[in-house]
Amino acid sequence: MDSALIWEMVIKSLVLILALLTGFAYLTYYERRGLARIQSRVGPNRAGPAGLLQPIADAVKLIFKEEFTPGQAYKVIFILAPIITVIPAILITATVPWGGTVTIGGREVMLGIADINIGVLYIMSVASIAVYGVVLAGWASNNKYAMMGGLRSTAQMISYELALGLSFVGVILLANSMRMTEIVEAQRGLWFAFLQPVGAVVFFFATLAELNRGPFDMPEAEQELSAGYNVEYSGMKFALFFMAEYTKMVSISAIIATLFWGGYRGPFIDTMPGLGPLYMFIKIFFILFMMIWVRASWPRIRYDRLMDLGWKILLPLSLSLVFINATGILLNQMWLIPLLSIGAGFLAIQAINLSLRRKENAR
Amino acid sequence: MTESDFATRLNDRFPEGVTADEREGYQGYIIAADKLIEFATALRDEFEFDYLSSVTGVDYPDEGKLEAVYHAYKTIGGAELVFKVQTDRENPEIPSLIDIYPGADFQEREAWDLLGIKFTGHPDLRRILLWEGFEGHPLRKDWQEAYYEADKKPFKSRWPKAEYTRAEAKNPYGANVKYPDKFDPEKWVPEGEDALYGSLAKYETTDKDGLKTDHLTVNLGPQHPSTHGVFRIAATLDGEKIMNLNPVMGYLHRNHEKIGERNTYLQNMPFTDRLDYLSSLSNNFGYAIAVEKLIGIEVPERAEYIRVIMAELTRVQNHLFAIGMFLNDIGAFFTPSLYAIEERELVLDVFEMVTGSRMMCNYLRFGGLARDLPDGSLQKIRDLVFDRLPRKTDEMDRFLSENEILRSRTVGQGYLSTEDAIKYSAAGPVLRASGVPYDIRRADPYSIYDRFKFDVAVRYNGDIYDRYYIRLDEIRESIKILQQAVEQIPEGEIQTGKPRYQMKVPKGESYGRVEGPKGELGFYLVSDGTGNPYRYHVRAPSFINLTAFGPMCKGLKVADVVAVLGSIDIVLGETDR
Amino acid sequence: MGSQTPWVYVGIFVLVGLFIPIAAIAIATFLGPKKPNAIKQSTYECGIETVGDSWIQFKAQYYIFALVFLIFDVETVFLFPWAVSLNSLGIFAVFEGIIFILILLAGLIYAWKKGMLEWA
Repeated sequence: MDSALIWEMVIKSLVLILALLTGFAYLTYYERRGLARIQSRVGPNRAGPAGLLQPIADAVKLIFKEEFTPGQAYKVIFILAPIITVIPAILITATVPWGGTVTIGGREVMLGIADINIGVLYIMSVASIAVYGVVLAGWASNNKYAMMGGLRSTAQMISYELALGLSFVGVILLANSMRMTEIVEAQRGLWFAFLQPVGAVVFFFATLAELNRGPFDMPEAEQELSAGYNVEYSGMKFALFFMAEYTKMVSISAIIATLFWGGYRGPFIDTMPGLGPLYMFIKIFFILFMMIWVRASWPRIRYDRLMDLGWKILLPLSLSLVFINATGILLNQMWLIPLLSIGAGFLAIQAINLSLRRKENAR
Repeated sequence: MTESDFATRLNDRFPEGVTADEREGYQGYIIAADKLIEFATALRDEFEFDYLSSVTGVDYPDEGKLEAVYHAYKTIGGAELVFKVQTDRENPEIPSLIDIYPGADFQEREAWDLLGIKFTGHPDLRRILLWEGFEGHPLRKDWQEAYYEADKKPFKSRWPKAEYTRAEAKNPYGANVKYPDKFDPEKWVPEGEDALYGSLAKYETTDKDGLKTDHLTVNLGPQHPSTHGVFRIAATLDGEKIMNLNPVMGYLHRNHEKIGERNTYLQNMPFTDRLDYLSSLSNNFGYAIAVEKLIGIEVPERAEYIRVIMAELTRVQNHLFAIGMFLNDIGAFFTPSLYAIEERELVLDVFEMVTGSRMMCNYLRFGGLARDLPDGSLQKIRDLVFDRLPRKTDEMDRFLSENEILRSRTVGQGYLSTEDAIKYSAAGPVLRASGVPYDIRRADPYSIYDRFKFDVAVRYNGDIYDRYYIRLDEIRESIKILQQAVEQIPEGEIQTGKPRYQMKVPKGESYGRVEGPKGELGFYLVSDGTGNPYRYHVRAPSFINLTAFGPMCKGLKVADVVAVLGSIDIVLGETDR
Repeated sequence: MGSQTPWVYVGIFVLVGLFIPIAAIAIATFLGPKKPNAIKQSTYECGIETVGDSWIQFKAQYYIFALVFLIFDVETVFLFPWAVSLNSLGIFAVFEGIIFILILLAGLIYAWKKGMLEWA
């Protein structure tokens, strides 16, 4: 391997990471403005034109803030925990293709870090590392709220990881490959979100739970646990948790776009592969808006109901979706897939309604 | 049954130990301490006074007596029954009524805390508003606040010989508190903590398979985002389940009642604004009614209408805020609350226009109002109550009430049965959501509420959802009243006689109560004939509704505690007084 | 390019990714003020001194969730290669996969019936 290739990789890595970090910074701005619009407020509009410099002001403030470590805490793990949380949030994007192959200065450059043959598996395994950061943060703080938040988030993340993983299986079945670029190319005709709409919805909710975003933000339930696992963190260490959450939002939106919404594909992509990142950006933008919208409009689910939803509704549902996909492919009747899966989704909604009704008469 | 029938029946039942209170201006009965339990049991079971609304005390040092004062009602409606128990000042002991009326729990603790009346038989007679280890009982007349200049306002001469000292100069930092002997604040550990955690007890359980689980003792509050102020809940948890829970309050205590005794009657009017600071006009209303009962003056027609309009607008804006904040408590990220606050601001605009202030309105006067409605304000109210508010209430109902997450969080949770609601002296929406159609505006009408057509909002499930939904019902009923009042309001005077700035109030006692947004808001006043109230007691609905909080929460999850608390809708300014 | 090359790229990416949080913490450590005192360093419990230990023996129920998760996670991973090669496998392998899913579904129902999925 020549050194030019290594430099290309380092530069690509840096560009991607910088893009992610900028994305994180401006996602906080986007979210605050978006929430403000929904809530008939103005939102940050003081730092720079239309408040555009707000993320920079926040960053500067957080860098210069004093950080304190509680005396009771287990110091090493306390410092390690935010780092462990951030890293998978960044690494998860390594296999996401941001476009086809473009020519820059005579070099064929693939837009994306690595196109490995088990891309999907890589995403799943890296994503589950994040739970260590959270649970270790909760444990090392030696604080009751943090401890409870840490435990909650462990249970929540592992519960929804199953639904997440099984939704991946559905996509793999449809694309017949675990390689991300091939999954994108398989959506040349029809985006998987239309072929498997229920799978897309299940995946979206499972990722919300994975991200600890509302309505599944139990681990950091402000109203219940003050702030959950990160209650003892301050300054930059706190910012790292924040960064992990928002970077992961960007990464996971990219993954959702890739798996279900045609990835970098869009009009004229075959003639102008440079458009890929733009299409990705637009798709990510909309998916992020969905996440913000959900957060703004729904109350928080109670913890035991969240677990019920994960284990008793989403897990059987996604198992049945795997089943449906396999059947459709075997019989070579693709129209069966959306039809049957919508039926299954309808059943799941009925099950949720039923469980609500039963609780009505109970204490 | 007339008043005298009742007196005869009471006399037949208790030939001894129950005598009518014949002091000038006083009403009710004086019960002998040893007859109290029997009397209260009979009152509840035979005379149908099933609702003990208020328990407090008055200190009469000249007679060497402490007097406990009880106000009881029938939940089917009607006027109150006042009964009192007198006890020796040196060794004040009165049997506790907690077994007969569990709602007396916190109020007896408060009376012990502030007046030093020992309620024998109370299982947990700790201080409730002040800290454990506080010296003395501040509502006793011989208790002096350290370094405070005079007993009463207005002072004879605040700065005699034109030279004055500032209180701060006389009280160097840290020295303006009276401590018990040999007390070192630096080394102080609150004594109450052990008792508090002791009352929760049990740190470990073993299930049938021999698996041990440690229980977690955790404090929610005072510095906590969803306790609506500095309120604290000490709880033992088994995993996420609440095993036991104790509310702790008093962090915002400023001895409202002692300060009220030092103020003149009129000075207390703005002071009541600070009780439940979200609904200051209702507080004004209750206090004005209590004082007007004492001095026996009527209020002109127009003033009554304006009072009702203002009180109902207060209820609307309070409930809007309550619903919004309740949704915040169950985790809706500010959107419902900001939508509700948007409407509330419009109501506050009316308040600002009419009273000059958005929150601390200080608008009512004895026998009338501070000023008439300014031009255009009526039109503004009309626009609100005929168009905007009904529309927005329906919109809020449509957006929120059928939300699956909200329903799953609230339906069937935090249950308070009808019997318990009465037993625990719950008031207002909390009582009515448990199926008791008790609204003072109907049950014991005051002001001009008997003229309006409206329904008493009532719901029957007693869960969080009903306590949420009943607030929407009440907003709708209030809007009905407002629509009638705005149409009917006559022209005329707004004040009977001259405005009363400083006045002598005849001797006696009175209890004025209104249906505040949070429940029955009562003011118990005792006058000794001077310009300052001799005793000024507030029956705070937020405070007394919390009595049922612990029983409601047992067995729920941590997240539900917050929801239950939000559904009670407390304001700490009133709870801690 | 060998087949392992993409992993080298991932390795480079990991290194660059590691650098970011560590640099952030290091910069903040140099730039931020440091004036610790006992009150600042005390554990936060809403302004009240905490009682009892935070590192306690939790409900056994929580661990059962972890066990059930482990089983299903492994199942999911087994399904991945099965899904990739569904088309090239014969109908027999597909039914094998389906039987595998059904067995695990039975396990889920068993755990459900046993009340293992109740978060209390």
